[in-house]
Amino acid sequence: MGCRDIRETISACVDGEASPEEAASVREHLASCERCRVLERQMRAVGAGVRQVRGRVPDRFREEVFARLESEGALPKRKKAFPAAWRWAAVPLAAAAGLGLFLLTSREAVRGPAPPVPATAWVGTSAPHAPSPQGNEAALSTEDREMLALLDILEDPADLDPNDDAEGMELVAPGDFADSPNPPRGGRSGA
Amino acid sequence: MLLFREGSREAFEELFSRHHRAVVRFAWRMTGDPSSAEEAAQEIFLRIARAAPTYHPAAKFTTWMYTVARRTTLNYLRDTKEDGERVPILSEGEAEDGVYPLQLPGPDDRNPERVVWEAQLTERFRTALGELPEGHRAAFVLNRGDGFSYGEVAQVLGITVQAVKTRIFRAREMLLSRLSKDVSA
Repeated sequence: MGCRDIRETISACVDGEASPEEAASVREHLASCERCRVLERQMRAVGAGVRQVRGRVPDRFREEVFARLESEGALPKRKKAFPAAWRWAAVPLAAAAGLGLFLLTSREAVRGPAPPVPATAWVGTSAPHAPSPQGNEAALSTEDREMLALLDILEDPADLDPNDDAEGMELVAPGDFADSPNPPRGGRSGA
Repeated sequence: MLLFREGSREAFEELFSRHHRAVVRFAWRMTGDPSSAEEAAQEIFLRIARAAPTYHPAAKFTTWMYTVARRTTLNYLRDTKEDGERVPILSEGEAEDGVYPLQLPGPDDRNPERVVWEAQLTERFRTALGELPEGHRAAFVLNRGDGFSYGEVAQVLGITVQAVKTRIFRAREMLLSRLSKDVSA
């Protein structure tokens, strides 16, 4: 291959874009051609030269770009912290809902499938369609009563917050502790 | 960009922080002077923001961004040309098929390997870069300046890889010719 034909391939070789076969033919040519060896060095140098043309970011470039974008309405407004706080509040709210569901399920599991009510179950009570609590309790075993008493305690909000200080509690997202050794008060701002 | 399209201002701020230096640098290399580079770079970000509603990630974001950047600087250069200043721009066809009667410097000329690294010649290099046809300059700047492969340059410019290879070779020829003349003058 002559010098003129191989120069474009030398250029690609300098850029690391030649195939292995092309690179081999370039090496072979350069080994025997002083003029093309010089040209190859020049090509490398001129490629490095473009990186010397760097320019610089103008002062206030960011401010001017964002001012133009805002004047065009092309930039969304900053979101306030309030909606973000509610977004993070969804996590503990979901957890609370899950706990409630668990308790209900546990209650059913403890009770088991409802046994068929014997026809005599309501004997001596006021009416089968409006059974009184007392009438129900009369049909429960001692173990059932203990279990119900336990569930009543769990379902009483006063037992969950005996000191009545739930108002002072805050909702914190799991990720908030990873950012800082001192968890921030309130929700994440989203900024 | 997808987050910005969904309405996140923070996503655009992050995008700007990551890419504004590269955009300014590209605009500087393509336009050749600071005030033009600033105007073009601002316009590039405006176009990126305006294009957000219709943005679809068919390619890498940077490839798309540089496509916007190149088109914006090309329009800017065309507008400047219409205002009377001489800016060398060839159409795509001319750039692909153009034949340039260049005389490459021989081994006796001063070695540009040393020349281009001298700080005082950076200005000459910038001028020589500005005299390249726009399509050749874009290919050369994207490859050598921004580190794009020939394939990525082809995507940005919308041409074949072979055309990129030819443009970059021609750009080198023209730059070497121009720089060797400067040095010997």
